[in-house]
Order: sequence, then structure tokens, then C-alpha cells
Amino acid sequence: MNAFIEFLTLDNLTYMLFGLVWSVIYGVIVVLVGTILGIIGAALKISKHKVLQSIGGLYTTVFIGTPMMLQILFFAVALPQALSFTGMRFEPTTLGVVAMCLNAGAYQTELIRSGILGVDKGQWEATETLGLSYFQAMRYVILPQAFKRIIPPLISEFMTLIKDSSLLYNIGAIELTASASVLGSRSAGIMIPYLDAGIMYIVIYLILSRVEKMAERRLAVSD
Amino acid sequence: MTNSMIKVDHITKTFNGFTAVNDASLEIEKGEIVCLIGPSGSGKSTLIRCINGLEHPETGKVYIDGEELDPKSGNFAQIRRKMGFVFQHFNLFPNMTVLENLTLAPVKVLGKSQQEAEDVAMKYLQVVGLVEKKDEYPNKLSGGQKQRVAIARALCLEPEMMLFDEPTSALDPEMVLDVLNVMKELANEGMTMIVVTHEMGFAKTVANRVVFLEDGKIVEDTDAKTFYENPESDRAKDFLSKVMY
Ligand SMILES: Nc1ncnc2c1ncn2[C@@H]1O[C@H](COP(=O)(O)OP(=O)(O)OP(=O)(O)O)[C@@H](O)[C@H]1O
Ligand SMILES: [Mg+2]
Repeated sequence: MNAFIEFLTLDNLTYMLFGLVWSVIYGVIVVLVGTILGIIGAALKISKHKVLQSIGGLYTTVFIGTPMMLQILFFAVALPQALSFTGMRFEPTTLGVVAMCLNAGAYQTELIRSGILGVDKGQWEATETLGLSYFQAMRYVILPQAFKRIIPPLISEFMTLIKDSSLLYNIGAIELTASASVLGSRSAGIMIPYLDAGIMYIVIYLILSRVEKMAERRLAVSD
Repeated sequence: MTNSMIKVDHITKTFNGFTAVNDASLEIEKGEIVCLIGPSGSGKSTLIRCINGLEHPETGKVYIDGEELDPKSGNFAQIRRKMGFVFQHFNLFPNMTVLENLTLAPVKVLGKSQQEAEDVAMKYLQVVGLVEKKDEYPNKLSGGQKQRVAIARALCLEPEMMLFDEPTSALDPEMVLDVLNVMKELANEGMTMIVVTHEMGFAKTVANRVVFLEDGKIVEDTDAKTFYENPESDRAKDFLSKVMY
């Protein structure tokens, strides 16, 4: 307990919080870009075009079928190496985040797709009889209803992504797990910094769980 | 070409080998009120949905105001816009208020300004008697109110004809009259209408013609009075004996 309190100096705490803020920022970026990719992916998968469907299918198969760590290493390490002859320079963290976005986009493709398919067929027919185009129907009628039902799982996804951003530690990014590791190597033991990081992850998790529950309740009421 | 408002020319529609509408032909003049009746599964919905372009018949053609309704043709959407369609289950957009439901298509499809669209919407809310509900969401309305909003929504596109697929079948009995009264008012104003309905009273008093379907075929197509008092086919007689007390 003493060691724990000793570790919690203002400097150390600031350093950890700095890492935490980055973890959350990565989570936010990835969940937002992932949502956009998810909308595109879902549109591909539910389209009637065989070719577009296959592109969507290939995308989700590749990014759901392989581990996120491998994807991050592929984008942040393998790709720059393969492209080194071009002389272009890439920032590994950026590429790692790109990999995470693509991965999240694949999961959200499935999520959004099921949300869209869950909207009553009569809604599509009503837009049709009113003369709305496919895109207008999606934008004003279908997606708003689909998103309403996927907001809770989307918040879960966000929680997962904040934790998953710790994978970026392996390619040298600054985030909470990395902060803990750095502080651990500077001080006597690594146990306390890791416990401390763990507590911070749990606090974020608990907060977002509450938000998720609230969203679930709100949405249930308005249905 | 013909100058019928609606002309259905020998259409057949099958679902996985099952014939839902079988070689049906029908002509409806401007201002006519035609009721489609028949037993459950006889193809009433399929027929009216083919007329609106929600389903596409394999053979035969549908003409609206003299023009062929063809999903592959460039004017499909334009022709379709001449028809308003009202569903059994209303299909209001739950994510929008009543007023937003009514103004969406006029703004996005017809390119009206929000203000113009709202003026028209208020006019039709008045017609269906729901002005005070304009800012409510559909889940706050009763079934009868939802259906009247759905009728107003279709009217906001100023259609030349209205198609109704069992508009009162999902309603509690005390709500039915409100909806039928709105439809009657439309009929009195000269709207061309096709109504799939089990409401014999409405068919009897409002319809000019009754089209009776069985097993996807139009078995009888006659004026309402003749149909109810003196039906030709045994099938229609049998049907009437079952639905009339
Ligand atoms: N999308 C579809 N897929 C497969 N079969 C269908 C489809 N739509 C209708 N059918 C079948 O076609 C037949 C006619 O259906 P339709 O809905 O037109 O009948 P209806 O006269 O409107 O009946 P109800 O009074 O019950 O509404 C039925 O046997 C029905 O099962
Ligand atoms: Mg039906």
C-alpha cells in the first residue's frame, strides 16, 4: 500500500493520465472512422450488385478473420518496409491507427448491416411510395432508425477499442499501457504502474458501461 | 393509348412459382372509387402493389394516366408520384414528428422549401383533423390517428389518385370510422381511389365499383349495388354469405 501511495506522485500521475488521454483519443478516432467505414461496408454488403457485395464480404472476412495485432504490424511495420524503396516516410503510429480503423470498420459493417436489416421492410416501402431515392431513404429514414438500435453495441465497441489501443504500444505509440511500462522501468517495480493503469481502464469502463445502460433505457422508452 | 387513369393489362405475378395475381385486367376512370375485395390470400395486396410499382408483374403491363409504369424506364418515379399509397400498418417514420413525416418528401423529392411544404402539410393535417398533433412522434398517436397522418403524408405530394391497402384492418373498431370519413371526404372531392377493404359498408356506400378477386383472378367487376344485391358468380355469393351477417 505504501509503495502504491509513493508511486502516486503528481509527476507519475500526470504521465499516466497523459497516456490515458491518448488511449481515449485513439478510441474516439477509431470508433468514428470505423463508423464511416462501417456505413460504407454495410452499404456494399446489402447492395444488390454481386461485385459490390463481394468487395464488402472480402473486407469483413480479412479484417475479422485475422487478429488486430497482426493487422497493426502489417500496416505499421511490414508496409513501410515494403515501400521503403519509394523513399516515402510513414509514421508507424498513424499506420497502426489506420489498421485499427479498418479493423473496427469491419466489425461495425456487421453491426450496422444488422441494424439496417432490422428496420421494418414497410419503412423502405413507404419511402418508395413517397418517391425518395435509395440514398435519401437511407439517410433520412433507415440509418437513423438503424443507429438508434446499435448505439448501445457501438458504445461497447468504443470501450473495447480504448483497451485495444494498448496494442499500439508494440509499435511505440504513447498510450496508457505504454505509460505504465515506461514508469515501471524507471521505478523499483512494474507491478504498481500496471495496477494503476488497470484501475484507470476499469474507471473508463465503468463510466462507459453506465452511459451504455442509460442509452439502452432511453432508447427502450422512446420505442 | 387509353385515357383511363389506371389500366391494368393482363398482369400476372408469381412468388416462387405460386401465382398470386393471375392474368388480371382492370380499367379505372378519373374520379372512380373502386373497392377490391376477396378472401385472404386472393391477391388483393399483390394487385394493388403491382399498380403502385411496389411489385413488378412478370407479364402484362400497368398504365397510369396513359403512360406505362416500367421500373426500367426513366420516368418510373415520375409516374409513380401520381399515386399516393396507404398501407395497412401505416409505415410512418418513427424517427420523425408528424410534421417532419409530412414534409420530408415534398422537400427532398419535389424540391419545395421547408415553409411551402409546411403550409401544405398543415392544410392536409386540417383535412384529417390532426393539426394539434403536428409536433408529436408517431408512437404517441393512436392507430386511427397514425393512419390519418399516413393519408395526409401521401396527400402532401398532391397525387392524382390514392391507393389504400386495407387501411382500417389494423385499427380498433372505434377508430375505423374516423379514417373512413377522411376517405369518404376525399372521394367526394373527386379523388380517384382504389381501396382494398373488408369494410362492406364503405364499399357499399362510397364505391362506384367492386372488383372481386379469388385465387389471383378477377372473378367479378361490377357496380357496387349489383355486387351486393345480385352477385353473378357463386364464389362472390359464397364470399358475401360469409362476411355479411
Ligand atoms: N412477397 C411474397 N412472397 C411470397 N408469397 C407472397 C408474397 N406476397 C404475397 N404472397 C402470396 O401471394 C398470395 C396473395 O397474397 P396477397 O397478400 O396479395 O393476398 P391478399 O388478398 O392481400 O390477402 P389478405 O386479405 O390476407 O391481405 C398469398 O398466398 C401470399 O401468401
Ligand atoms: Mg393484403
